[in-house]
Amino acid sequence: MTVVPALSVEPAATDARPSAPLTIGGFGDPGTLLLSGPTATPEGEDLAGHSQRWGLLPDLDGAGVRALLRDSRLDGRGGGGFPVSRKVETARMSPGHAVVIVNASESEPISRKDRALCTQRPHLVLDGAALLARALDVDEVVVHVHRGPASASGALSLAMAIRRAARLPDPGWRLSEGPDRYVSGESSAVAGYVDGGEARPRFTDRPLAVAGPSGRPTVVSNAETVAQLAVLARIGPMAWNALGAPSSPGPRLVTLAGAVTRPGRVLELTGPGTIGDLLAADGVPGPPAAVLVGGFAGTWIRGDEAWQTPFSRESLDCLGASPGCGLLAVLPHGGCGLLETARIVRYLAGESAGQCGTCVAGLPRLAEDMEALAGGALRRRGLRKMSALADTVLGSGACGHPDGVVRLIRSTLDVFADDVVRHLAGSPCRGGADPPILLVPDPAPGPRTDPGGWA
Amino acid sequence: MSVTVRIDPTLCRGHAICALFFSDGVELDRWGFGRVVDDRADSDRLLKRARRAAAACPNGAFIIGDDAAGPTSSGVAIT
Repeated sequence: MTVVPALSVEPAATDARPSAPLTIGGFGDPGTLLLSGPTATPEGEDLAGHSQRWGLLPDLDGAGVRALLRDSRLDGRGGGGFPVSRKVETARMSPGHAVVIVNASESEPISRKDRALCTQRPHLVLDGAALLARALDVDEVVVHVHRGPASASGALSLAMAIRRAARLPDPGWRLSEGPDRYVSGESSAVAGYVDGGEARPRFTDRPLAVAGPSGRPTVVSNAETVAQLAVLARIGPMAWNALGAPSSPGPRLVTLAGAVTRPGRVLELTGPGTIGDLLAADGVPGPPAAVLVGGFAGTWIRGDEAWQTPFSRESLDCLGASPGCGLLAVLPHGGCGLLETARIVRYLAGESAGQCGTCVAGLPRLAEDMEALAGGALRRRGLRKMSALADTVLGSGACGHPDGVVRLIRSTLDVFADDVVRHLAGSPCRGGADPPILLVPDPAPGPRTDPGGWA
Repeated sequence: MSVTVRIDPTLCRGHAICALFFSDGVELDRWGFGRVVDDRADSDRLLKRARRAAAACPNGAFIIGDDAAGPTSSGVAIT
């Protein structure tokens, strides 16, 4: 999504400032902030343990929280990376009582960080949600999750009940559970569902923060984002900000996937760490063939290049990538990036909401072409047609779903250019018979257009 | 008087009628779905054409907006 700065609220990034020491760790590991405390347990951390470590929620009014958001330059961690302060200020300038939604749906199939956070540290997420409510002067927060076996709804609803019983100075809590579809985690789909509609993205002529589906300004914020707010309210915006890489504020959560020691592992990065540092922390011995950064709708980076690249917004931006939802999916040497991408594109094609014609018509064609390329059945002419098709699809949708597919395909053709040449010559990788490396879910048979599937 | 037009891609079914009336501002893709390439209807002539396109679209996908409405026009884009 494009971001056109209109309100300059955050100070310029200062690369000159001394950076924090590098720490990488999982739940309970020393040096972590969000993940500090006990190691992962089935129940997650309770209110007593949470309060003991973090103390009470700082007694801040709305202006105080807004100052925190501004000074910390907290950026959204759901994928878009939009500055939270700007969302909040936009909502405040817009007419109507704001709606605040914490988006914990994490519809990215192999990402785990939001679910892990909501399950293991539900009170940190709710602390942050309570602060966001203060910033917008509202007395209710909706926390939205997707249904499914791995849903964090149990931990969240228990934590909400405990906090009510403890009479914490919280807003009213509402847990919303929606369909577990890829595009249903998109913010306009979440806002629409919470408003009583289908969990499908909407065509919006105004930003949600100006006017959501209800007509009221609607702030949708990712679960990690609000948890970061809860942390930075305790340690102060400057200290929190300095825990990021220069020009990329704060600590970051990532999920490791693919050819790593423990796929699905969630790590917290503090300080100026590279993608190589993160993978090495999981025991990956050296640069792999390639890394898919930011999610299925993300960007492939060559392994040796990724290994050296700091996991920060600015460094990734130089490679046309972004931290996205924090996913790092590793393709090992010997794996076929074209085949893995073909599987992802087929999955994403099946996840279209079935609303926009070009997405419905174009994504299955792109999936076919990618499969033909991976199988050695596509020729130069076919590749040119696929690229032209991708150009047509780009920017055609009400949401960014088709754009994500195009971005993935373009980065695939770029990073695996040598493989593309070999496949075009009719000799695909031997890997075709090997088991999938990235655990891409089975694709849906086609776009789901029946309204029942989105309720 | 400055007015902009939009096509709601979730409503567009590729009838392509908008491209007949608002031909300078709309491009059709290979399936006939319209995309606005120039959203300004800032003359009487263009405004008339835009109104015709909006009236003719069977799905109400061709939308004429008031450019003075809301902070969208000030360039705030929120993902």
